[in-house]
Amino acid sequence: MIWAKEETLTRQEMSDLQFNRLKETLNRIYEKVPAYREKMNQAGVACEDIKDLDDLAKLPFTMKQDLRDNYPFGLFTAPKKDLVRIHASSGTTGKPTVVGYTKNDMDLWTECVSRIACMGGASSDDVAQISFGYGMFTGALGLHYGLENIGASVVPASSGNTQKQIMYMEDFEATLLVATPSYALHIGEIAKEMGKKLNIKIGLFGGEGMTEPMREEMYKLFGREMKVTQNYGMSELIGPGVSGECLELCGMHINEDHFIPEIINPDTGEVLAAGEKGELVVTCITKEALPLIRYRTGDITRLFYEPCKCGRTTVRMENLSGRSDDMLIIRGVNVFPSQIEEVLLKIPQIGAHYEILVDRKNHMDTMEISVELADESLLDSYAKLGELEKKIKFDLRTVLGLDAMIKLVGPRSLKRFEGKARRVTDLRK
Amino acid sequence: MIQQLSIFVQNEVGSVAKVTAILKSNNINLRAIASFDTPEFAILRIVVDQPERAKAVLTEGGFAVTVSEAIAVELEDKPGVLHDLLQVIADAGFGVNYIYSIVIRSGKVPLIILNTDNLEGSKSVLKEKGYSVAEQEDVVL
Repeated sequence: MIWAKEETLTRQEMSDLQFNRLKETLNRIYEKVPAYREKMNQAGVACEDIKDLDDLAKLPFTMKQDLRDNYPFGLFTAPKKDLVRIHASSGTTGKPTVVGYTKNDMDLWTECVSRIACMGGASSDDVAQISFGYGMFTGALGLHYGLENIGASVVPASSGNTQKQIMYMEDFEATLLVATPSYALHIGEIAKEMGKKLNIKIGLFGGEGMTEPMREEMYKLFGREMKVTQNYGMSELIGPGVSGECLELCGMHINEDHFIPEIINPDTGEVLAAGEKGELVVTCITKEALPLIRYRTGDITRLFYEPCKCGRTTVRMENLSGRSDDMLIIRGVNVFPSQIEEVLLKIPQIGAHYEILVDRKNHMDTMEISVELADESLLDSYAKLGELEKKIKFDLRTVLGLDAMIKLVGPRSLKRFEGKARRVTDLRK
Repeated sequence: MIQQLSIFVQNEVGSVAKVTAILKSNNINLRAIASFDTPEFAILRIVVDQPERAKAVLTEGGFAVTVSEAIAVELEDKPGVLHDLLQVIADAGFGVNYIYSIVIRSGKVPLIILNTDNLEGSKSVLKEKGYSVAEQEDVVL
């Protein structure tokens, strides 16, 4: 079913709605966010210069760095007392990116996720198990509220403890699974090993991209009749709920009455024509607490404006084909190599060089970090070397929220670079 | 007490041979060696005639090396002698971390090399019980 009438507006109706909302939001940001006002002044553009949607291109971009520079609440347009929820995502410099929601933002978020759940085939008949990690990550709670809103029975299982997850799925007769695609495949495999036949008919996957081979694996593990879709979002924009696949599987419908997408050339910043591949830039036009103008997502995709066979007229974005920077997504968690570097450089027993090897084993992302032993005194015993490994793992976990395997190697044994270091090898690609 | 070298070696083909190649080219004589099949890396322990020089050349060759002390005890070649020695250490309440041995000593009995959680204490109880505890010069020849 189609959840909201805004998903089927004509292009003209949508453009009018977007423009009105953009104007209102821009005025509010100009008035309340000194950092963005300064950017506009420097670019020599005033609110009155925005006369139609094409004028959006005149406005300066918002970067992830702007959120960090204004940590924690500097880009907010609502007073802190109006916030009802605060989330944060990991950042490269140790300071996370903080996002907040007013009561109206929560309603809007819930609305956006409700649409995406319906697009993926969910209904009030479903028992929905959410196997995203709950916490500061927006994924779990975003899907949680949206699915409750459409009347599904939500099981907030969180991630991990896979055998117990499978027990819940079996005993509660779960029909819908929310997880990262890699974790969903892992669950499917363990269930198979345990000889359990699960009744999951709908998969709403996100947090990381799902490739077509992974979708095929889902069908093999959960059955051909399963409805397997993925959805897209990021905390800075709202969390999950920016876009999602419908059952036609021809790209992800963007909730464009709330988020205006553009595709730009990531090197020049120039706006590209519909259908061309480039970096996705999103403008939030309805949020109260943290509306970002022209936010650079770093994600590479294309936009298709033709109405979809499903009946929706909202623009579709192609499934992601990469990122414009070096961020890794490991088991749904954003990881920047610079975060890892920061942790390693604070541990004196190891050297400054490191290598990161990312792979996928049994459908689960793995990360192995090689570091050079620098403190010979630890060679007294395996126990001391073991302590060092434990410390590195613990510190990484604290910063990344993710377990990594540590490989200790001898001094000077890792590759050295003369130009730009290439320390990351991603075998998943 | 004797000096032993602990060397970090990766679990790769030829890694121990790289160590021995450096020792050979510097004319350093190995008296004892111990290494076990650990999964990812190993601590290779050796006793040599010139420990400080061996450390210097191995470090230069890119190895992480440390020199530490170990106890070396003379043992007669007959049944039960190792047991008696270990019982002395156990009775004193000390834990043994690892054991290896020097077998080739021209005309002399073998040496057992021990690391315990209390080296000085272990050495004195062994001496009290009449064991002959070797010093570095005893392993050179």
